[in-house]
Amino acid sequence: MTPTPPARRPDAAPREGGDVSTRLAALRARVALHDGQAAPRKILSFGVHAVDGRLPGGGLGLGHLHEVAPEAEGDEAAALGFALALVARRLAEVAGDALLVIARGHPMPYGHGLAGLGLDPGRLLLFEAASDTDAYRALEEALRAGGLSGEGLASGAGGLAAVAGLVDAGLPLTQSRRLHLAGGRTNGLLLVLRPAGADSPNVAATRWRIAAGKALRDRFGCIERPCWRVRLDRCRNGRTGDWLLEWDHAAHRFGLAGALAGHPPEAGAVGPHAGPS
Amino acid sequence: MPGHPDDAPLVVAAGEATGLRLTAVDARARALGLRPGEPLARARARLSTPLSVHPSDPEADAAALDRLCLWAKRYTPNVAAFGAAEARDGLFLDVAGSSHLFGGEAGLLADLARRLSANGVPARMALAGTPGCAFALARYGAGGLVPAGGEAAALRDRPVLALRIEPEMAVTLGRLGLRRIGELMDAPRAPLARRFGEGLIRRLDQALGHRPEPLVPLDEPAALGAARGFLDPIGHQAVIVATAARLMETLAPRLEAAGLGARALRLTLHRVDGVIRTLALALSEPTRCSVQVGRLLDLRLDRLGPALDAGFGFETVRLDVVGTGPITARQVDFSGGGRAAASASGLADALRQRLGRGILRLAPHASHVPERAEAVEPWRVTRVAPHHPVRAGTGLLRPLVLLTRSEAAEDMLAPDGPPQRFRWRRRLHRVAHADGPERIAGEWWSGATPTRDYYVVEDEAGRRLWVYRQAPLPMQPPIPAQTLTPSQAAGWFIHGMFA
Repeated sequence: MTPTPPARRPDAAPREGGDVSTRLAALRARVALHDGQAAPRKILSFGVHAVDGRLPGGGLGLGHLHEVAPEAEGDEAAALGFALALVARRLAEVAGDALLVIARGHPMPYGHGLAGLGLDPGRLLLFEAASDTDAYRALEEALRAGGLSGEGLASGAGGLAAVAGLVDAGLPLTQSRRLHLAGGRTNGLLLVLRPAGADSPNVAATRWRIAAGKALRDRFGCIERPCWRVRLDRCRNGRTGDWLLEWDHAAHRFGLAGALAGHPPEAGAVGPHAGPS
Repeated sequence: MPGHPDDAPLVVAAGEATGLRLTAVDARARALGLRPGEPLARARARLSTPLSVHPSDPEADAAALDRLCLWAKRYTPNVAAFGAAEARDGLFLDVAGSSHLFGGEAGLLADLARRLSANGVPARMALAGTPGCAFALARYGAGGLVPAGGEAAALRDRPVLALRIEPEMAVTLGRLGLRRIGELMDAPRAPLARRFGEGLIRRLDQALGHRPEPLVPLDEPAALGAARGFLDPIGHQAVIVATAARLMETLAPRLEAAGLGARALRLTLHRVDGVIRTLALALSEPTRCSVQVGRLLDLRLDRLGPALDAGFGFETVRLDVVGTGPITARQVDFSGGGRAAASASGLADALRQRLGRGILRLAPHASHVPERAEAVEPWRVTRVAPHHPVRAGTGLLRPLVLLTRSEAAEDMLAPDGPPQRFRWRRRLHRVAHADGPERIAGEWWSGATPTRDYYVVEDEAGRRLWVYRQAPLPMQPPIPAQTLTPSQAAGWFIHGMFA
């Protein structure tokens, strides 16, 4: 009878056996466990290998807090466009509505422009908050609303498909933690869009900086698709990166704006990538 | 007031253009011959006794009248405060159907008089078949009980002012010899209506009961209600919420039997010291769910915070269903479409209770002018969401953000075509690419909006803006050039930003 090895802790990573990728996955799962949150149940993929490969689980974790900021002053419209493109991509995948919370002073989006971005304005609810404090309260309330109708967690279909907030100042630590906790119970996409130059430490899973980029032209030389310089500044359990992304409003798909104009390359892997588990 | 004995006649005065005038006097001042409307200086000059003068406070008067109205709901749910025509100093009780609970109409009047005088409220009251007749007898008569059908006889000797008409009209009527209501009744109606308008005839008919006079109740009567009293007063928020949820549970079967749900609820909290607080809850969709009602109330109390002021606690909690709506079974499709609407309405209610604002949505309008093509309107539960026509593929781009007011572009360099360089919001934009023009003509049928030529411009950094040039109206006289800045004269404006 061979002596049995001492009992391991259940979350300990396997030391031997398996190739590198399985060991890496196990390690990631262990880190995520210590993060106070299970690995993301579901993700929203970009549909672009280069971006998804850097994000944990292959996409933006749903129910996690993601921070979007313009690169510089003057890029606010680009950042709003990027955030709403993500919302449009989420709405294309699932039924349900999206809520946009707008702190005082920010402009309302224009419905015809939203329709041009591939986001049906009929599925977008707007809430105008009097202050940042009210905006965060509204966001929290929206995350809880799924639980109210009694079908939040069980079916995954209740609640809102996406919740986005436009705030006046940076995302503070306390508010981000509250949103993180409230978001952990939902399957919605949770974005906070803040102005440029208002960095503050918080618990957001990712931070994106968006700058305007040259739009894609059609064959007549007219502006056809928006294009953004996207910088993944911070990514928990992932790697950072820098891309030039274009947005296809009809297919609700991002693409790498490559050297060949008019041909979105590397957008081949269509459809959401499977989650880790 | 220093120097005034406590039993000095008490008067209330308000400032007017010509000085202070009395607005109310107490019984001792009335005995001295003082009447409301007299200048304070004259009253002081002709009386030797010192007066205790208080400034008038109409808001506190209105609040006190409201409190009295709430108290009077012990007699009938239908209580209305006097409006502007009745000088806002009294209240109507519609006791039809509730007087037998107090030993008939005479018993009710006696009970009311006894309770009011016990509380130190001097009052004159009359009970009649119409509000107009009761008002006339209380204000310009001895009050008391008018038997059914006796309105005309009771009003005959009252002055015309008792009909709640303007004093000027009463003076004019007096000049014509019509001083008593009885004389008005006997006078031919057509010349009266021609001379004094419909208002006089309407008031006369209302007082006599020939024409209905609906009262505007303090708050709308409830369809259903339930109350719960406590031996030990409660003040904790969680207890109030739990009580309200329990009350909703008792109401739910009655609503269900009628196939209805509550659309509007009113929670009434009776404080130990007689103060009554009411909270209104409005819902986007009818509900019978006590959990939902409790949660919304919790949010509302969160928002109120210490403003609720429980004091020594509430002894009675009452929940009334003020508005109802039918609950229809909703088909839930496989994609969860029905659930999405339900969660949106729940969110709308929660935000309205928590933050006091409702959800908005964008609704398209049929117009070519960009700022008129859309309106922000309150969100409502609808089966069909408003549909924005999709312009994708037409090459006509619309901005993601439309500025509420288009802003003038400065230092515009646009020789004969699309702009090449301009300054906007203190930033110089060098145009790398411009699409356009897209001409949007003004709507000639709704005001003079000039024709505009829109360009989508992209500057060297890749920021895309919607810029237009205002074409001059052919039939408009030219605006003098010196009143405009050069760029305004050229008519270039920024109207929106693209993603």
